[in-house]
Amino acid sequence: MDVHENKLIAEIEKLKADFVNTTEKLIKDVKRQDKIMIRSDKRQQQEYDELERKFAEVEALQREIEETQREVVFTMGSIGESRSKETGNHVKRVAEYTYLLAKYSGLPEKECEMLKQASPMHDIGKVAIPDSVLNKPGRFDEAERKIMDTHAQLGFDMLQASSRPLLKMAATVAYEHHEKWNGKGYPNKLAGEEIHIYGRITALADVFDALGSSRVYKPAWDDERIFKMFKEERGEHFDPNLIDIFFDNLDEFLVIRDTMKDV
Amino acid sequence: MQNIKIEATKYTPEISLDTNGTIALVGKSYPENTFEFYAPMMEWLEEYFNGNAAEKTVVNMEIIYFNSSSSKLFFDFFDLLDENASDNAIEINWIYDEENESAEEAGEDFIEDFEGLKIKLVQK
Repeated sequence: MDVHENKLIAEIEKLKADFVNTTEKLIKDVKRQDKIMIRSDKRQQQEYDELERKFAEVEALQREIEETQREVVFTMGSIGESRSKETGNHVKRVAEYTYLLAKYSGLPEKECEMLKQASPMHDIGKVAIPDSVLNKPGRFDEAERKIMDTHAQLGFDMLQASSRPLLKMAATVAYEHHEKWNGKGYPNKLAGEEIHIYGRITALADVFDALGSSRVYKPAWDDERIFKMFKEERGEHFDPNLIDIFFDNLDEFLVIRDTMKDV
Repeated sequence: MQNIKIEATKYTPEISLDTNGTIALVGKSYPENTFEFYAPMMEWLEEYFNGNAAEKTVVNMEIIYFNSSSSKLFFDFFDLLDENASDNAIEINWIYDEENESAEEAGEDFIEDFEGLKIKLVQK
């Protein structure tokens, strides 16, 4: 009987030892899992902080790039302007007009915004026109006119090598803003929709602003005269659709002109 | 016993297991199924320490990033080394980049957890 009892006790003792072993192992495991969890949480937090910091950095850089681009593009436009007989807020108004025309032509918002930035560079080619021609008071003779007209090609040559979409767009604008719907413009005598919409839009915006501004060599045209000319040039100089858009939304164009007039 | 070499992927480290006693894990560790991924390595180690171990075993771990299940796996890995540490000369180098603070901290944690193992922090 004693032996039997002892055997049972031994078995229970063994079970107890196994149990202790197992529970110790389990406790160790649970502790380990907790540790892993705490460390993972800590690491994740650090990593997330780091990510946030990096993202903020990238965003700041992105803004910096965009602002720099805007500034460079605008400055280039101003240089073109300073080399031409246009003055004051000309390029700023052209920018706004092109935006409106693009918007009502149904171009996507992003493209309208880009055109607004690119169109001020339409005369950048004038930086390469000699002063003797550029600053000549009064009318150009035929040879001088020819030299002046190269500014479209020159502007294109300056900008077209860029792979930046905005500068590519500006290259198109510079190249085609003197083309006419009837094919009698320059430099390539393109006609109708052969002329890129950016070129057609900028042509109208540029002429509208130039006519309405006074220059040393000419007074500002009054509105009646401008509108009459625009109606006559509908389908001649200008894209008929853009002329329609212009007159349909005339109020908005006049608001821009009034709020950004030269002082 | 064969040597094993597993190439690194975007989510997993390069693993080389050499019967001459050189074991190396280099790269990132956040596999989709961690335990499945490391199973061949763990099996190889079992076999290696089961009478095939070299006179000296050097483990070089250069893990730049790892997820929590990898962390658990590394505990198991160190456990296995720990179990064999009394019969084998095992040296572990936890290699980290100077700028990788969390890798350094992870190494320090493992040293703290495995007092019976010779783990050395090695800054690159």
